[in-house]
Amino acid sequence: MKHLLLAVCLIVPLTRGVSQTLTDGLMMGRKALCTGFLYTHDQWRNYWEGDLKRDNENIGTVTTQSLMWMGTYGITDRLNIIGMLPYVKTRASQGTITGLDGIQDITLGAKYNFYRKDYARAVFKAFATGSYGRPITDYTFDLLPLSIGMGSQRVSGRLTLNYRMLAGFYVNGSAGYTWRSNVTLDRPAYYTGGQLYLTDEVRMPNLFDYMVSFGYVTRTIQGILSYSQQNTLGGADIRRQDMPFVSNRMNFSKVDALVMWYLPKSRNLALRASAGYTVAGRNVGQSTTWMGGVLYTFHFDKQSASTL
Amino acid sequence: MKTNTCITLRLASILIGLTLLSGCDKEVESTEQYTQLQPVSQDANAGAWHMIVMTSADQVPVAAPADVNADPYKAELATLKDQQRHLTRSQREAIAYWSGGGVLRWNQILRQLVARYNLPPAPRSDGSYPAPDAENPFADPNFPFANPPYAARAYSYVSVAQYDALKAAWYYKALYKRPAPHQVDAEIESLMPDTGLPAYPSEDAVLSGVSAEMLKALFPAAVEEITLKAAEQRNAAVWSGRATTSDIAAGLALGKAVAALCMARAGTDGMRNAGGTKTDWKKFEDDCTVRGELPWFSRDLPARPPMLPLFGKVKAWNMTPEDLVKERPVAPPSTGSAEMKKDVDEVKWYADNLTRERIAIVHKWADGVGTYTPPGHWNDIGAEYIRDARFSEVRAARAFALLNMAMHDAAVGCWETKYFYFNPRPSQIDPRIKTATGVPNFPAFTSGHSTFSGAAESVLAYLFPNHAEYFNHEASEASLSRLYGGIHYRTDIDAGMNHGHTIGNYTIRYALTDGAD
Repeated sequence: MKHLLLAVCLIVPLTRGVSQTLTDGLMMGRKALCTGFLYTHDQWRNYWEGDLKRDNENIGTVTTQSLMWMGTYGITDRLNIIGMLPYVKTRASQGTITGLDGIQDITLGAKYNFYRKDYARAVFKAFATGSYGRPITDYTFDLLPLSIGMGSQRVSGRLTLNYRMLAGFYVNGSAGYTWRSNVTLDRPAYYTGGQLYLTDEVRMPNLFDYMVSFGYVTRTIQGILSYSQQNTLGGADIRRQDMPFVSNRMNFSKVDALVMWYLPKSRNLALRASAGYTVAGRNVGQSTTWMGGVLYTFHFDKQSASTL
Repeated sequence: MKTNTCITLRLASILIGLTLLSGCDKEVESTEQYTQLQPVSQDANAGAWHMIVMTSADQVPVAAPADVNADPYKAELATLKDQQRHLTRSQREAIAYWSGGGVLRWNQILRQLVARYNLPPAPRSDGSYPAPDAENPFADPNFPFANPPYAARAYSYVSVAQYDALKAAWYYKALYKRPAPHQVDAEIESLMPDTGLPAYPSEDAVLSGVSAEMLKALFPAAVEEITLKAAEQRNAAVWSGRATTSDIAAGLALGKAVAALCMARAGTDGMRNAGGTKTDWKKFEDDCTVRGELPWFSRDLPARPPMLPLFGKVKAWNMTPEDLVKERPVAPPSTGSAEMKKDVDEVKWYADNLTRERIAIVHKWADGVGTYTPPGHWNDIGAEYIRDARFSEVRAARAFALLNMAMHDAAVGCWETKYFYFNPRPSQIDPRIKTATGVPNFPAFTSGHSTFSGAAESVLAYLFPNHAEYFNHEASEASLSRLYGGIHYRTDIDAGMNHGHTIGNYTIRYALTDGAD
């Protein structure tokens, strides 16, 4: 069952740098560290200007690439901590606007399995997750859609429920609420939501998200299908032919398919790949996302390697 | 299990703690606060200051008011007292809001309207662009597209109209000397700072009338918001004990009449033809080619018609058409010259070597789509100095009128220059140049930001000489931001800045003789 320890690395990096922590219902065992790098390629040509879906020849196709370090460590079998740090690079295929790149936000979180119930052929678990994220560089966030992030500090609380059959199938549900701090622009005034604000400070609306996933696990491979939805709880629409703004109401619904393959020679080494597609949205790009990565698990305490 | 419960509780308390931490006040406060305006001087002789659009202070007649001892006036006072006894919280808030100064408040409102309507039309599916239609302002695209020249002109018309209307009001105030209601009747409270000015005609009503009429003409789709604000200002003047209904009625009529005079000038100042025709656009291109130069081409995709190419023919405030030609900057380097290549290479270097600090400067001054534009930015800068100087309403109006006349003339002069030379943007000559802000849809030479900033800096330094160094620093930064952003050559910003200073001086020369100093 060693390979299951890797499953904790199922993190769905959402677009626009809102790194979602630990939405799955799997844990690293005590004194085990899963770490590695994930490369993500996200691209869109159409976007939603409020409700209106359109393209824009002045940007063409917007591509966001990121390389993210991540690590999850089991403090106990029921308490994991996690860290993530991406480098992000953006580019527009048309027009004159420059792409941007840089190290984005660090995210630190903890996941705790506070409830477990065993059935004859299944197990049910509930998890509470808390995380904190913030930019660690002074990157430019007021040049959407080419900014590498949103510039805000974030505190998230999340509840995750997982029901797993011993046959290998499982269903996972997770919902989170994210508080975001205000951000400070480089400019002394801005217009949003019908009002001119004579200040450089922008109120950032909070976020709500949920996801549902279905997974199947064998000794060598794991597959997951998921649907996720993120809503910004406030903020204005992009006006007709206006630029997007950092506090816009950015909503999206996404489907993702993920495969994880554990190398036969070394069960500690896993390759991971996923594809995602934005099926609906508001004030965001309709992105197609490809991701690939390598993760390795270190066991510092052989005794407790298997807990699931 | 007990341990688990304990840990669960601890976790829950941490989560609650984080919730409280992040649930703290996220309200955003304006950095431009106007509290009670208590002018340092009444400027009692402002009725004698030089008029700009009006021919004389009494061009619009205002009938003599009823005597304060007459019954109709006493009835007005009784109504006012009754209203004061029942002031609601929102009425008191309206009084507090307008106590900050009517001219300053209307300038804020104007900046908001410019930002709202500063959106270019979206392209049609065939790649053409619809034009905003003044007769159908609510349609897509909204009318107007409040781009920098449109905005510069709008700021100037509103400011000039307010200024002339207030001078006329001051003239009649001095003529009729009717005291404020709270001076006539001790039971009436004065809920706004007492200026000691005669009440008839009410300056608040004059401002409400002139501002609303100008704004409704310039931003017709915002009619509801404008009308409500204007009514609130008049009501606040009554509720505060500063004016009665007859003071208000006379002021409103005067304000509206002055607005009509100013709109008559606006109707014939050349703006309606500033968009030009396809024939005009082609001629700019052909003339440029005949001179052996590479003509400007829109960087927008699909290519967009040039922004207001005939704005250079719009009537200026303090410059004649001959002045405009006389002061036009000399030609930029030929597009094929080594000098031009050096200019392009410098832009390329800045584009390739963007630093966080320079991006911040570019974005501080970008003032592009959806903003109050560069002229609005300079109103933003000037507003706080005007507030801190505690000018009377009429002197505050003069300050904005001078600033905005200079920037309107800067827009006219700059646009005349831009379309005279029709010089390409750096990213047209070298498409590898990527920009940190949008490339404006008009020729490069000279820089509009630099011309606006040079003119604004000059006028603000004239008004507030102790702060000249700061204005100069801001203007230089605004100007350089366009080079850093990769959208202008150094030649554009240097020539634009000099041109702006020259244009600003025309307005200063006017100011020196208008009777207010």
